[in-house]
Amino acid sequence: MDLIKKTNIDFVSNRVAIFRTSVIIALIGLAATFLPGMIDLGIDFTGGTQITVKFANQSASADQVRVAVGTIGYGSAEIKSFGSTGEYLIRVNETGRASEISAAIVAGLQTSFANDTVTLLGADNVDPKVSSELAFDSALSLILAAIIILLYVAFRFQFAYGLSAIVALAHDVVLAFVISVLFNKTGLLNLELSINSLAAYLTILGYSINDKVVVFDRIRENREKHKGMSLVDLVNLSLNETLSRTIITGVSVLAALLVMVFLGGDVLEGFAFTMFIGIVIGTFSSIYIASAFLIWYSDRVQHKNVGELHTKKA
Amino acid sequence: MSSKTWSKWLLILLPIIAGAYLLWPTYNYYRMNQERDGLLGDSAAIESWDLANGEDFAKARNARLKLGLDLRGGMYVTLEVDILKLIEESADPLSVDEDFTNILEKTRAQTDNTDLDVLDTYLVNFRASGKSLLQYFPLSSSDEAKGGDPEKAIEEKLRNDAAGAVDQAMEVIRQRINKYDLSEVNIQKQGARRIAIELPDVKDEKEIRALIQTTARLEFKRVMMTRDLIRTFYAIDNVLKGVVAAEPVVDTTAVDSTATAKDTSAVAKADTSKKNANPYAGLSDDEVARRVKRDYPFSYMLTGLFAQSEKSSFQNFDLILKKAEDFPEQGIYNFVVSGTILPQFLKYLERADVKRAIPTDLDIVVAARPEGTPAKDGTPEFYNVYGVVREADLTGDVVTEAFPSFDQSSNQPMVLMEMSGEGGERWAQITGANIGKRIAIILDGRVYSAPTVQNKISGGSSQITGATSPEEANLLAVVLKAGALKAPVKIIEERVVGPSLGEDSIRRGVTSSLLSFALIVLFMLAYYAWGGGLADIALLMNVLLVVAGLAGFGGTLSLPGIAGIILSTAMAVDANILIFERMREELYAGKTLKVAIDLGFAKAWSAIIDSNLTNILATIPLLIWGSGPVRGFAVTLLVGAVITLFTAVVVTRAMFTLIAASGATTFNIGQKRTA
Repeated sequence: MDLIKKTNIDFVSNRVAIFRTSVIIALIGLAATFLPGMIDLGIDFTGGTQITVKFANQSASADQVRVAVGTIGYGSAEIKSFGSTGEYLIRVNETGRASEISAAIVAGLQTSFANDTVTLLGADNVDPKVSSELAFDSALSLILAAIIILLYVAFRFQFAYGLSAIVALAHDVVLAFVISVLFNKTGLLNLELSINSLAAYLTILGYSINDKVVVFDRIRENREKHKGMSLVDLVNLSLNETLSRTIITGVSVLAALLVMVFLGGDVLEGFAFTMFIGIVIGTFSSIYIASAFLIWYSDRVQHKNVGELHTKKA
Repeated sequence: MSSKTWSKWLLILLPIIAGAYLLWPTYNYYRMNQERDGLLGDSAAIESWDLANGEDFAKARNARLKLGLDLRGGMYVTLEVDILKLIEESADPLSVDEDFTNILEKTRAQTDNTDLDVLDTYLVNFRASGKSLLQYFPLSSSDEAKGGDPEKAIEEKLRNDAAGAVDQAMEVIRQRINKYDLSEVNIQKQGARRIAIELPDVKDEKEIRALIQTTARLEFKRVMMTRDLIRTFYAIDNVLKGVVAAEPVVDTTAVDSTATAKDTSAVAKADTSKKNANPYAGLSDDEVARRVKRDYPFSYMLTGLFAQSEKSSFQNFDLILKKAEDFPEQGIYNFVVSGTILPQFLKYLERADVKRAIPTDLDIVVAARPEGTPAKDGTPEFYNVYGVVREADLTGDVVTEAFPSFDQSSNQPMVLMEMSGEGGERWAQITGANIGKRIAIILDGRVYSAPTVQNKISGGSSQITGATSPEEANLLAVVLKAGALKAPVKIIEERVVGPSLGEDSIRRGVTSSLLSFALIVLFMLAYYAWGGGLADIALLMNVLLVVAGLAGFGGTLSLPGIAGIILSTAMAVDANILIFERMREELYAGKTLKVAIDLGFAKAWSAIIDSNLTNILATIPLLIWGSGPVRGFAVTLLVGAVITLFTAVVVTRAMFTLIAASGATTFNIGQKRTA
């Protein structure tokens, strides 16, 4: 099978408009997520106690659960459910004695919903001290990972490539984050920002940098092969030459993730969803963010002649 | 076959054999575990099975691929040594004054949510107050003999105690947990002040929680259940009255309609028959319950038993609508609080204003476990509430040995306890002065037992009877033994994954992962034909080796680890696609198969190495600074990326070389038939 023939698509002419649009969307989205109540930080980052219970017969509504939990003295508890599985997240803004709180809540719910069977799926109790440390450590390790990527790509290619990769990675993570935050509001999937979802963002970073390196590698190779070709032409040629690989790899990985979104269960679905959108964005950003930034940076900052696009008939 | 061909076969087969070898214990473990579970709790059969297979089983279990708690269920707890408590403990109780407490409180406020070193901050605050450490902390006789600056010596001692506290706590917790015959408990020191405990396969979660939560601060305190205690209950009511009502309560009528309404309304009725001065007369049950809760926010939680003397029978009573004077000064009191409202009850007791309302010589403490055998049908469990003398008569460090036993004559379970010489002498004085009275055995502020002193105990050897089951006696012995630990620890993180969630997530996770993988395998086969088949072999090897590598290094597979495997698999797929696309380009350009293979690999190589190396290098900071889950991701990604480099470049290449060496001139990698 060979679905993608040799192409000669003009990827670079609209680069400025698309780059700007995408970055603006990402920035507006990022600003919007910082409106109060937008980001659902998981218990890992807020501290507190969170209890997950399951009603076997799915007889309770979120409001009934809220009232029932209120009767045990947790009137300010936050109740959440995702899908219609009879599962509820109950978050109590208080630390210590998680086992007693969860035991009391499960017993209380069982009393209130005598016709149903309430089981405790999980309980997390994180001290605010721990959660602020988790946030700090996570941010630190992410930033250091980004610096290492920058250094390595700069070393293997050129500094401009490393910088382009970092700009594109930041764009990918921000956009994936914004979409996750917005999608979390639909209540279909649990996409709270937790230490586990951090692994999903790291996966996006890893996939995206892989994609960029493949394109950069082709540019590097074509630079030697077609001496004297303008940068714009080199980039466009390389994007076309790697297009087949980009699509095949992307499609196979996305198909695999889609299976996990629908069949992965509570634990994997949210995870796989974030990765799915991240990989779509990462693929897009190799073309329109990383490559576009590379051309812009070489042109405007390094004052190199990047040339105009000369499309040849294939 | 030439030696070159041989070496290619070895390159392909050796890793598969190594992977299978490393994963063999995993397979073996799950097979044997199933066999063992198949015995369905038949203890005799299990015993003989263990005798026959126990050694192999344990071996397989140790070498198998371990699943993280997020995938298999279990408990995860992080403990931190409470340095301030340690300081408070080290001080001479007689010298403690307001200044001392203020410095402690100030330090607590400063360090609660920051990374400041607690002991350093304390010492700075202490120096700022211009006081002398010698005023509060006793100087050991050896330090005194040495001479030198006593301030320095005390500071040195505090530092040593703080440094040793974690190790001490770890040792005791390990010992306590080991008593419970739990498999694969992982106790780790985290940094200088923390202990992380992982407990998979928790059978009796409640007991373990109790054990971990109790921080081995064992004290013996005299039980003081007098009218003063009842007076204190009412005093707390008065403190809470205005405050609690001001707190937002979502649905006040619903608050009382369930657990407490029955009791309180019954009491209200009983009272109307006795007295006419019932302010709640004529109100609906719900309204009465609401008002009782408003007027007696603390006492309404308690129900009591009372007897005039040991011989007279107990009668039930309630504190509502009574005064302390309604109760006799002498008598035997017993109070209980329902498990459903216990967290609220304990929360009240921790409030600063409530603490002030409690007399300085009195402390209100609650039993560690509910009375009697735990109810399974969801009916509330009741916890005993005790009034005790605040000052401990004796602390747990005098206990040298404690073990469960049986009373020879009655065959009832009991606990034997040994005390050190000095402790034994004090114990003799205490017991001698309190015959017929109760002494509470308190671990971390919760009462495990409150036996009545039968006679003066000399020689330091005591028998504690009254346990209702051997398990209870066992727990008490563990508790007593744990008393030697002085370091107070507090739980700062606790996570429980219920076994049902664990089971479900494993099943669905495995199914969906296998399906995803099958999809990729089929896709590669369809798109790259025979070449795809070869890539699939390499992919299978890739996953096999990542998992085997994890098992071999004793790693743990967790949810973020799966993300790492997904990423490394995606990169392995990508590596193969890169190679095939290059080969196709060369074939279309009219190159021969052998040349196309060589060029395809040569040209794809730089992209593959650069992308994988970037990821490998990026895992380094994650491994060093990332917290648990992030590190789990980084480990599988690191192992996966290294193996991807190997399988995609070495193994796939070896397979293609073998094909070229066999004399083939065409090979179907899904290219168009005619170039």
